[in-house]
Amino acid sequence: MNVPDTLFGALLVSLIDFFLSILMISGIGIVLALFPLLNRIGRIDDEALRDQRH
Amino acid sequence: MDQLFEFLQALKDQTGLAHIWWGNLVMMAIGATMIWLAVVKHYEPLLLVGIGFACIIANVPGSDLILPGGLFDYAYKGVALLIIPPLIFFGVGAMTDFAPMIANPKLVILGAAAHLGIFVALIGAKALGFTLAEAGAIGIIGGADGPMAIFVTMKLAPHLLPQISVAAYSYMALMPLIQPPVMKLLTTREERRIVMRQARKVSRLERIAFPVVIGIIVNLFFPPVAPLITMLMLGNLFREVLVVDRLAKTAANEVMNVIIICLTLAIGSTMSADRFLTLETLEIVFLGLVAFVFGTGSGVVGAKIMNLFVTEKINPLLGSAGIASVPIAARVSHKVALEENKENYLIYHAMGPNLAGVFGTAISGGILLALLGVK
Repeated sequence: MNVPDTLFGALLVSLIDFFLSILMISGIGIVLALFPLLNRIGRIDDEALRDQRH
Repeated sequence: MDQLFEFLQALKDQTGLAHIWWGNLVMMAIGATMIWLAVVKHYEPLLLVGIGFACIIANVPGSDLILPGGLFDYAYKGVALLIIPPLIFFGVGAMTDFAPMIANPKLVILGAAAHLGIFVALIGAKALGFTLAEAGAIGIIGGADGPMAIFVTMKLAPHLLPQISVAAYSYMALMPLIQPPVMKLLTTREERRIVMRQARKVSRLERIAFPVVIGIIVNLFFPPVAPLITMLMLGNLFREVLVVDRLAKTAANEVMNVIIICLTLAIGSTMSADRFLTLETLEIVFLGLVAFVFGTGSGVVGAKIMNLFVTEKINPLLGSAGIASVPIAARVSHKVALEENKENYLIYHAMGPNLAGVFGTAISGGILLALLGVK
């Protein structure tokens, strides 16, 4: 994309960037909201991991 | 006698004394002030001692350290080649607990809402006559994320590195002074007293999955800033798997300390009088302040807008934590809330948007680089 090096270009970049950022970070939020489902797979014991540390 | 005088004159010409001007003395005073702020006022001592010292040395005429091939120049090359900023993120990842962000995903959006300051500064910089690339680099100051500001600046406008990095780190240190008036202006006493429900416990499996999942998402969607977030996630994976404790500690301590030394020398060594004492510097410092004020305000307003749509109200003070600058912004939210209600401990909740702010800045920076055609 060729953005003009003008005030209009700055406005355009800012608008696109701001709304895309909100969209993308909302996407990350949705992925994180699904994280509790991982706990259905199983459980990892912290102490067992600590015993194996290198 | 004449011969002796000529000899002494030639000797003087070979030293820096012949080339010193008032600008050097001003910058040396600025460097000394930085060291004073670090030692006496305890403002960001880890950064300001090195930057202040390198700033003084960089302004001694004739010093070879900042010239190509000089020791400080090699430190700068670490920044110029974009090696140092990802390594800082590596150390930060090893030190950071992302559980508050995983536990409350709805607050993640505040990490983007608090970045309106980036765009206000960007538009302001363009209006002041900077090029669009320079304006983009100046705008990223509003992300309140030092390594990200350096990373984006080196890609868009490397000649502005000293001004942008100094503005970014200075305002981050001054956040406890800048943010509270804006937060109080935009919230009522009742809103500041809202108590948040205790967050859920995050399991080890979620903690381990987080860096892997985010690493994939960032490399898939934001390749321009992937080196930073990928290293952040690698450091965090070392921390969370618990089996490579030694590596996690090395990343968080030894690696981080060495990189901080290199970074501070690199920034300080670019602060020569001829580059720094310009009208541009004053404009960038002013725009940085504008970015921080608008970022804080937009985060708080963003949280208030969220409250229109959710049943369980969130404390709008959490919004300003979305500006990144981990953990300073979260601490400010906590402190302001505590002033209104001595039993309202917001710190854990504020860390969620605060950490999301790191991703918000990275995403904004990545989109900006992509829009401006920079890889």
